[in-house]
Amino acid sequence: MREEVRNIQELLRRQAYVTDPAVATSVYLAMALGKPLLVEGPAGVGKTEIAKSLAEALDARLVRLQCYEGLDATTAIYEWNYPKQLLHIKLQELAAASSAEKEAEIFGESFLMKRPLLEAITDQTSSPVLLIDEVDRSDEEFEAFLLEILSEFQVTIPEIGPIKAIHRPYAVLTSNRSRELSDALRRRCLYLWIDYPSFEKELEIVRAKVPAIGEALSAELTRLIQAVRKLNLAKVPGVAETLDWASALVVLNTSQLDQDVIAETAGCFLKDEADLRKFEAELSAGLLKK
Amino acid sequence: MRAHPLAEDDLGADTVLFCRALRERGLLVTPSEAIDAVATLGLIDLDDRQETFLSLRSVLTSRIEDFPVFEELFEGFWDRLGRSPQPRKVVEREDLSTSVRLSSHDHGRKGLAFFLEHWGTGESRAAEPINLPGASDVESAAEKDFCSFGADELEEISRLARRIAKRLARNPSRRWKPAGRGSRVDLRQTLRRSLRTGGELVELSFKQRRQKKTRLVVICDVSGSMDLYSQVLLQFVYGLQNSFARVETFVFSTSLKRITGHLRDKTYKHALERLGTNVRGWSGGTLIGPSINALNSGWPKFIDKGAIVIILSDGWDTGEPEDLGTALADLKRRAGKLIWLNPLLGSPSYQPLVRGMQAALPHIDVFAPLHNLASLRALERHLVL
Repeated sequence: MREEVRNIQELLRRQAYVTDPAVATSVYLAMALGKPLLVEGPAGVGKTEIAKSLAEALDARLVRLQCYEGLDATTAIYEWNYPKQLLHIKLQELAAASSAEKEAEIFGESFLMKRPLLEAITDQTSSPVLLIDEVDRSDEEFEAFLLEILSEFQVTIPEIGPIKAIHRPYAVLTSNRSRELSDALRRRCLYLWIDYPSFEKELEIVRAKVPAIGEALSAELTRLIQAVRKLNLAKVPGVAETLDWASALVVLNTSQLDQDVIAETAGCFLKDEADLRKFEAELSAGLLKK
Repeated sequence: MRAHPLAEDDLGADTVLFCRALRERGLLVTPSEAIDAVATLGLIDLDDRQETFLSLRSVLTSRIEDFPVFEELFEGFWDRLGRSPQPRKVVEREDLSTSVRLSSHDHGRKGLAFFLEHWGTGESRAAEPINLPGASDVESAAEKDFCSFGADELEEISRLARRIAKRLARNPSRRWKPAGRGSRVDLRQTLRRSLRTGGELVELSFKQRRQKKTRLVVICDVSGSMDLYSQVLLQFVYGLQNSFARVETFVFSTSLKRITGHLRDKTYKHALERLGTNVRGWSGGTLIGPSINALNSGWPKFIDKGAIVIILSDGWDTGEPEDLGTALADLKRRAGKLIWLNPLLGSPSYQPLVRGMQAALPHIDVFAPLHNLASLRALERHLVL
């Protein structure tokens, strides 16, 4: 294994982010090749966490863009500051400037309101980490905006022209696959798939993130979660749910899992009524034992 | 590092071949990815198989569905890397790409191409009169069951299809476009125009909601039990498709076939003739689950949140209900809306007890009958996202 890959793994681990070689290699390559990283996988497996931990590990700024349907350039890239422009025009009313000069003035950078994407590429000091979260929630029109930013790391504003990144951001995109992303966007990114972790990895994560939990309890809880994932549920619990549950058990001072404790706290990792009922039925049937 | 100067060129050539092989198997690998792949090899430890594998996978795949193909072809690539770094013969180098080309060809033949070739050989089933429970006592045109429809009455169906198409084209989007008069003031445009009058706001510019690009994906059951209905339904879909561009049409019984192109014929008669030779006689069971899976994996780009998926089937499935359940769950997750139209539902005594239908119900947004014109009209209000 390359020294650099191991370093990244170590850096992330120090942020209590438990990696595997696949994650570390992809992150390393994304940084080395200067390409965005597209992370896909089921909900709650720590896709977003990659960007956060990376930012902390590099001591870089994290610029986050949460995607949603209808997200457009004015909320994601930039918007002109209209009240300021209007005021400026009023104040300059008596000035002798021609309208062309006035136009150049009010469409200058000081009248620009930067939104996350522009923010990320105009960082003056160092490369920030740009997290474009749940990109599958945005619509196809928005993907088109992303293409220029992710391949050239520049934004073109009609009134000003292209603004190129001084420090290329480390871009991380996450997707839950609620819709298929366009090929054009996929092509511009390195690809990483994160699945539900293995028992060993999940146990390591639980112990790293909830250190207060006992050895026996953490193993018991992880084993149960792993069994629950095989139940064919509507909302399969992710690692985030495992951690919620672990924290809850710590707060409740639980030292051992029994039927009652599990039934009382199942809401921590099952967020669907039908799933809960199914789980309870399995639990009382003793199917989850061992 | 294994790549010492002598082998450098070889490594590059092998990588390019590897990339080409991946592309032929349908991965999104263009020369720019090949360049990245070569660059990657310079950045990693080539003696570490896992690291080479993970790195190239990260660069050369773009969705998890690519992984099996990548794994398969990586074997060959790694074997070549692992050999002594002597210059290899050109013939040998060609091996990889030709063998892959062949296997990908074979791969395709197992799929739909294979079925297409064998369609013509099936027996043509004449439309025997079947007593369907959807038949109503009142024989008014609107409530007359499709299975007793005459050719002249089909025209009414086309008219209805055109109306629904128009409605589909009128869905408002969340995005804006400039407009002469609209519901909101476009501040950016207004300011820009005010400059012409020395910064005085004289004229307001407006914007309005853009039209949403709703797509319709119709999957029509053409198996034996649906014979009488599928013809009428295809007529309906033909009408839709010819007045509304964003319609994709598929038919299935034991496997799925895309017929969007077939329906683009100028006259319905022509379209039906072309289809008829293909589709008829293609009975012998219904595998709804695998057919929907084929849609999920074969045409993922049609299924997104802007798509309304309509399944026309009676739910008589010879496959496993679990398969249907998971396939529909996957479809539902990606599509904007999932509508199941069942001609049998028109009968007051019908209960969706068919096992397949039971498995399907939890995933369906709209479960409606489609056996007469009235039910076709009722469909109209469901076709909005």
